[in-house]
Amino acid sequence: MTTTSDRVVADYLEATGSSEGSFLLSSVQAMANWSRKNSVWPLPLGLSCCGIEFMATAASRYDMARFGMEVARFSPRQADLLLVAGTLTYKMAHVMTRLYDQMAEPKWVIAMGACASSGGMFRSYPVVQGIDEFIPVDFYIPGCPPRPDAVLNCLMELQKKIEKDRSYRLALKPEDEGAPLPLDEAPILPGRGEGPPIALSTTKERFTEEGPQKRAFRGIQPEETRR
Amino acid sequence: MPGPSESSITYQDTAPEGVAEATIAALEGIDVKWSGGEGSVHPLAGSYPGIQVDRADYLKAAQALHDKADFAFYVDNTAVDYPERQPQRFTVVTVLMNLKTQDRLILKCRAAEGESVPSLTSLWVAANWAERETYDMFGVPFEGHPDLSRIYMPQDYDGWPMRRDFPLQGHLRFQD
Repeated sequence: MTTTSDRVVADYLEATGSSEGSFLLSSVQAMANWSRKNSVWPLPLGLSCCGIEFMATAASRYDMARFGMEVARFSPRQADLLLVAGTLTYKMAHVMTRLYDQMAEPKWVIAMGACASSGGMFRSYPVVQGIDEFIPVDFYIPGCPPRPDAVLNCLMELQKKIEKDRSYRLALKPEDEGAPLPLDEAPILPGRGEGPPIALSTTKERFTEEGPQKRAFRGIQPEETRR
Repeated sequence: MPGPSESSITYQDTAPEGVAEATIAALEGIDVKWSGGEGSVHPLAGSYPGIQVDRADYLKAAQALHDKADFAFYVDNTAVDYPERQPQRFTVVTVLMNLKTQDRLILKCRAAEGESVPSLTSLWVAANWAERETYDMFGVPFEGHPDLSRIYMPQDYDGWPMRRDFPLQGHLRFQD
């Protein structure tokens, strides 16, 4: 069976008269995913002890640079990943929402540690009981604080998620939305083939229905923080 | 939710032992209820002498203590919420100190929800932030305060966290 790419190669060879192609064929989506997943620039929002653990992850012993993530950016305009590390208070939630809104798409969010995920041990009035009250979260890392290994594992899971991104494809073929993924694009979930897959902790889907601002507490609307 | 009980604090018309004569003289003409003092150790009030005045007399009593009894140091301000004591559920508590004699005096007055208490910022500048904190946590407004806004919580925070009827776990997270 002759595929499109075979025809492109044949046309190229015929036109140039050469016997070998000095080019690589891929899809825009695959190229974008490949470059994005290997250059995730995190914005570390270190709010408490998890911030220290994140520093250990970035430093030479654990060395986040192995995954192309060493460029910690302290400007949201240049960051791809908001890494919320620590206890978020309602006062700081304004800042975090603003940072998130200022980040350019595509962007991802990791809630690092028990506090960012659920408020942790602080079941009290000033502490946000999980940052997903305000912004959508891609991954939650358990631990108090999580070990750098867990952070690295999460970053690798994030890379897998970025690899499966289909946004370009959906822009061209919106009818594909919700359709089962072709086999080569199916996400590799932990435990696949050994019983039901364990879903990764994604909440983007949950947020499309309800919107983060609905869950956010009265008074903080994402529109207000976009200035 | 049951809060602390005030019933074990006893009030009397005369000052307990150990209160300086100058302090008693300064409060002449003001309707004052005394509590505490030497020999009484209360889990809430300690052994410091305390006076309770009406809201209307609060600023007058503070002024007298400041001007005539030499209470130069404003130590702290807070409030206590007794939700079962209606309508005046709040007791606003101010701790004053006389730096010359090392005497402390606790000045109290009651307020209902929404009722304001005179601000003491005109007498002690230190009252500014302390009263803001009381306002932030209990929602007791202070009349005449130069900048009565929340000091710890964000300005748009919903509720008064130190009130007894405020949910312990905080906000709306588990109510949906």
